[in-house]
Amino acid sequence: MRSLRIGLLLGFRQIQRANFWTTTLIIFVMMLTFLNLIAVSGILVGLIAGSERAVQEKSLGDIIITPLTNEEEILQTETIRRILDTIPEVTSYSIRYQQGVQIAANYKTRRDFNIEPNVIGTRAVGIDPGAENTVTGLSENVVEGEYLDPNESGYILIGALNLDRYTAGFADITGSLEDVYPGDSVRATINGASREFTVKGIVNAKAGGVASFVYLPEKELRRLSNSASRDANEIAIRLEDKNIETANTVKAVLVNQGIDSFARVRTFQEALPKFITDIKQTFNILGTFIGAVGIIVASITIFIIIFINAISRRQQIGILKGIGIDRRAIEVAYVLQSAFYALTGSLLGALVTYGILIGYFDRNPIDFPFSDGILVAEPMGTLYRFLILFVITLFAGFVPAWIIVKQNTLNSILGRK
Amino acid sequence: MSIINATNIQRKFGEGNLTTHVLKGINMTVEEGEFVAIMGKSGAGKSTLMYQLSVLDEPTEGEININGTNVIQLTEKEKTEFRLNTLGYVFQNYALVPDLSAEENVMLPLLMRGYDWTKAKATACTAIDGVGLEGKYANLPAELSGGEQQRISIARAVAGKPKILFADEPTANLDTVSGTQVIALIAQVNKKENQTIVMVTHEREYAMGCDRIFHMEDGVIVSIEQLT
Repeated sequence: MRSLRIGLLLGFRQIQRANFWTTTLIIFVMMLTFLNLIAVSGILVGLIAGSERAVQEKSLGDIIITPLTNEEEILQTETIRRILDTIPEVTSYSIRYQQGVQIAANYKTRRDFNIEPNVIGTRAVGIDPGAENTVTGLSENVVEGEYLDPNESGYILIGALNLDRYTAGFADITGSLEDVYPGDSVRATINGASREFTVKGIVNAKAGGVASFVYLPEKELRRLSNSASRDANEIAIRLEDKNIETANTVKAVLVNQGIDSFARVRTFQEALPKFITDIKQTFNILGTFIGAVGIIVASITIFIIIFINAISRRQQIGILKGIGIDRRAIEVAYVLQSAFYALTGSLLGALVTYGILIGYFDRNPIDFPFSDGILVAEPMGTLYRFLILFVITLFAGFVPAWIIVKQNTLNSILGRK
Repeated sequence: MSIINATNIQRKFGEGNLTTHVLKGINMTVEEGEFVAIMGKSGAGKSTLMYQLSVLDEPTEGEININGTNVIQLTEKEKTEFRLNTLGYVFQNYALVPDLSAEENVMLPLLMRGYDWTKAKATACTAIDGVGLEGKYANLPAELSGGEQQRISIARAVAGKPKILFADEPTANLDTVSGTQVIALIAQVNKKENQTIVMVTHEREYAMGCDRIFHMEDGVIVSIEQLT
């Protein structure tokens, strides 16, 4: 206890009397280390979190209902619809019908029949434009032209990835339509039945297959495919709260109501494409690795700082021991300095992360081809990483102090080796 | 009654052919309340002898008894505690902690002894007053002259009323006026507090106030001069 008291006094005074700019520089290094630990891995994870968020908001909804494994359609779709109407947490849902479709463009101007027709195969999604827009905000993803009007017929939305000008570099692999713009006519063919549609708009989004499909009102899709069935292929559900806890609760309610006998009910997390979860795991490992390198660099930095500090005060340390100050008190003084650097640097790093960076990346996501990257820094994860940094910094401060303090007292006083 | 009893103190440095024999069998006793000086030319071994007597170093051979304790047998931790509770030091380079104020420098060993903050502060202020530096409590060492720093160093050494005060050439870095003041202060501590003092010095004029002078040459005590 006495050693602690003396150590705190010595350490506090050393910090207080230290050169302002040196202290500022050390704290700045610690802040950068903290940012390296939190923000760099947070951005890596945020790339995938951004993708997850986009898939949840623009494609899957908070809960997604799909056909049972051996079925092509959701059984008893009308029954499910009635159940959904009774659940208060469900704010909206979109019933989707899907069919394989062939879309042909520029067929009216095709003069040379030796040239390949401008045709692609894709999936047509039949939607209620109003309901779909409420659940996924599809209209916000219209990058050219306009969104579907529920009162009109004969219009179609085309996903951007079906168009040559949006898939530069990939067109040869996936096939794409050339020179298709809002207002142009395209011909949709399902099971041999064809109908001409006017392109109302082009849809583009970095989420799931949103930009891969074509969209048309569900009645028009069922009419074109000559299907009398009212059983859908997907029901995307939007809840009051977007968090996973609410999704799990509502999923349990749906399962209790027996919906799982007709269809597969999954939360957005369960339905995420496997490649996203795989990348997330990989980026987590990568983030941890980068963080570990950051911690090692920080600990070496602190080690060097404390070592130089302690060795330049070797004679003073010898004299302190000489007049009877316990070596633990001297060690505490240096550990306190390390703790001060780690705490102050981390505090500033946390302020920058939570006060500036998270908000900045939310407003200005990093534009990656497959997602809009945000910065993810969960408070518990941040606390955990801070504790690791803190403990290692204390250790890095203690070791050089211990090395210097354990030297022979008289040799230290006289400056002998 | 002798407070320091050193028998056959030998101190060698190095090994084999490179061995230097600095102390060659020193026998000496110092009585309680006595003020003694160790004098000799440079290289005579006087500082080395003081380091042995003040438990800062360990002799190669011999025994040292201080205040009834065989200090050779103490562990490092016990030696540190012994130095804290029994001995006081005045070094030639003042040896103050530059980050601490004059008052805090004096308080440091007191706090280590277990004084609470208030008692340590009051004792430190009294000690600083005692060396004639009233009002300089908050000054950092860099804000004091060499003589003032050495006086703070003396205040630190005597504040806890140690049994023995060791002073290693306390005037070496001081001008004549400051040196005289420091020696007078040390002598005053000896007279007032009846504190045992062992001082190493080059200069005879500063040793004239001592009870005895041990003259050293080439690692041995060649004569003992009785002054009082």
